[in-house]
Amino acid sequence: MEEYKPPALPSPFNNTTPPPTLLIQGAEAHLYKTTSLNPSIPAALKIRPSKPYRHPILDRRLTRQRITSEARCLAKLVREGVSVPALLALDWEGHGGEEGGWGGAWLMMEWIDGPVIRVVLEQWEAWMKQNAGSLDQSQVENEEARVRGLLRKMGAAIGVLHKAGVVHGDLTTSNLMLRPFANASGTVDGTRSPSMEGDVVLIDFGLASQSNQDEDRAVDLYVLERAIGSTHPRSEPMFEEMIMGYRDSYKGAPSALKRLEDVRLRGRKRSMLG
Amino acid sequence: MAPSLETISLPHLPLPVHVVLYRNVQNAASLKGRLLTGQSEFEYAFIDASMVLSRAHATAAVFRAVNDYMHDRLKSHNVHSEIVFSLNPTNNITESFRRFGISDSTKDLLVIKVSVSPEITYESVAAHLDSSVEGTPVPFDDQTLSEISDVNKIKKAYKLAALPSPTAKENDEAKQRLENSLLSAIALRGS
Amino acid sequence: MIAIGMEGSANKLGIGIMLHPKDGSPPQVLANIRHTYVSPPGEGFLPKDTARHHRQWVVKLVKQALQEAKVSVDDVDCICFTKGPGMGAPLQSVVVAARMLSLLWGKELVGVNHCVGHIEMGRLITGATNPVVLYVSGGNTQVIAYSSQRYRIFGETLDMAVGNCLDRFARTLHISNDPAPGYNIEQLAKQGKQLVDLPYVVKGMDCSFSGILAAIDGLAKQWGLGGEEKAQEDEQKTIESTIATDESLESTPTRADLCFSLQETVFSMLVEITERAMAHVGSKQVLIVGGVGSNERLQEMMGIMARDRGGSVYATDERFCIDNGIMIAQAGILAYGTGFRTPLKESTCTQRFRTDEVFVKWRD
Repeated sequence: MEEYKPPALPSPFNNTTPPPTLLIQGAEAHLYKTTSLNPSIPAALKIRPSKPYRHPILDRRLTRQRITSEARCLAKLVREGVSVPALLALDWEGHGGEEGGWGGAWLMMEWIDGPVIRVVLEQWEAWMKQNAGSLDQSQVENEEARVRGLLRKMGAAIGVLHKAGVVHGDLTTSNLMLRPFANASGTVDGTRSPSMEGDVVLIDFGLASQSNQDEDRAVDLYVLERAIGSTHPRSEPMFEEMIMGYRDSYKGAPSALKRLEDVRLRGRKRSMLG
Repeated sequence: MAPSLETISLPHLPLPVHVVLYRNVQNAASLKGRLLTGQSEFEYAFIDASMVLSRAHATAAVFRAVNDYMHDRLKSHNVHSEIVFSLNPTNNITESFRRFGISDSTKDLLVIKVSVSPEITYESVAAHLDSSVEGTPVPFDDQTLSEISDVNKIKKAYKLAALPSPTAKENDEAKQRLENSLLSAIALRGS
Repeated sequence: MIAIGMEGSANKLGIGIMLHPKDGSPPQVLANIRHTYVSPPGEGFLPKDTARHHRQWVVKLVKQALQEAKVSVDDVDCICFTKGPGMGAPLQSVVVAARMLSLLWGKELVGVNHCVGHIEMGRLITGATNPVVLYVSGGNTQVIAYSSQRYRIFGETLDMAVGNCLDRFARTLHISNDPAPGYNIEQLAKQGKQLVDLPYVVKGMDCSFSGILAAIDGLAKQWGLGGEEKAQEDEQKTIESTIATDESLESTPTRADLCFSLQETVFSMLVEITERAMAHVGSKQVLIVGGVGSNERLQEMMGIMARDRGGSVYATDERFCIDNGIMIAQAGILAYGTGFRTPLKESTCTQRFRTDEVFVKWRD
């Protein structure tokens, strides 16, 4: 079977030098790293390629709807001061893939430096496992307090998002990043427990929508709870910590959390994770 | 020759862009008049610089206009009028010129010219501007713009009055947030 | 080993006989026969009428299948039947027949999940080893992938099945149910040119069809395209008038346009959720099973998607993707081979029986 090749980049990025680097290729979108409008500042470029299997009219309609919905969410969140990548440029029509045809819609975003929280937690879990024997009680408590701090920060970031009237639609620890503070020094080298200093930044609003409904907010949290449970067994008991961060972050939080109880009981449907 | 004319190669775009920022412009009314006659040598984006927050703000409008130009979907006459129009958060072209374009009383003027044809070179633009604009060229950077921009007017034009106003300090979060809000408004216009 | 498979969860009664040679050579389909209860245009099949149909035909079909397979009762190892999911009364009529044969011949029973039957038959026929499965029929719409002894459901419809949506629109248009409403929609859709705007509802890997059906029923009513008279006009249409529709783009939609638009919309949704599941589990194979899986446009769209991902689509023809007995024999014989039996007193059937409830002992 031939190797998968991503579709040609839409114009103007088919002329960009150096060419954008493909980072992630999902079912819906491809994420590239490139430069922003300032050559010294990097940017993330998200492309929704045209889907040749569907009718061209339907394809344009869906692609346009989705890319603009994502862009509107980002714009709204930036205005509200929520930590998300800024929207730098957008083209919902897209042009110039193969043979000058339609290559797909794109949006350019601020590049966020730093690891995704999944990686921070995994490094921490690995480090704890490795050093379990040599840590004394107070060191273990200290480490656990640091993770709880991070989880509270995550909860607060999600609370701020919900307060701004947006639900993410796909919250996982891979869609939360930890951007180190501007003055932070040193890199994670694996010899120390990973740093948990920095701002939690929410990314990938491809499935986001604008909503102030408790139900939507609760489902957002429930999805994250299950994601944490399946990818981070060690920090699962600490989900409550995240909830605490969330609870204090805005006025509507307690009512969304009440709804979360219902959503848990109902279980959207039989677990299909894994 | 205008010493401050700068040629910018915006990443991703094949066309060079010539930019110069003037202060204390004396002949805004006459410049505006000649722009309106539609003479091709007077095809410029003449922007009232008090409505420009930062370099990124202006380049976002240039990028939007040039990208739309390359894909044959200009809403206004040419790529230069489109740059002024692209600064506007809504689709009202007349309003965009009233808000962001040169007016008789403009003192601080941002001039942009895109090399849409080979005859448009740094030299030709510099020479023409030198003989046409009565004003003092200054560096087109955020420092200078911060002395020129009318933040309240900008916020009003973008319906962002609720946002905190920038302060003078470096790495100012309020300014970043305002700038990012402007960029997204430019990107989303007409969506 | 030889198994008889008995299927009757909806309006098809199917009897199949499957041989798994002892020497390990490839399984052989010895017989695969089907009789369909067809309701008049504009009507769906009712459970009690369908059950009566199955009761009337089951003995005849079993006899015929044994004859075709050239096997005697003594050669048969087990009797496999559809335990569910499906319509209660038709399921019951077949399980009663299965029990009777089990007692009469002294053969063991194997209750089979209908969806697992489709998957195993699709895998056998196409040779797809570990595909993402799109199971689409009148009663089910699921995106499935195998993982640790279960066929896990990654996405599914939140309301009606896609086949049900198509069938019900066929009723609105009074399209014939012979051989199947979906087949006739597919033929009519081939003449469609104009895409009308319909809701498009995908949530992650799930989808919903009820809003689409309501919208397109509304359009049919708005343009006066439903009902018996219009259906007769369709039949009288000459080639001339089909060409005329070519020039009438952007005009009033035709019945064909509606069928075309419905297919384009719902199939795009199905391909989208399948692609998402493929990306999620990292698979490049996709297998389409279930009655709707015989639709060539769906197969074509899925093929384009799979090709663009560097993979391929596997589909079977109507003998195997429309409900049949052989798939029940195939899934049943696999379970039987691992020692699975359904004791007589547990040989019940059930309308609800999720694909992921089955312990798939026969796979790694």
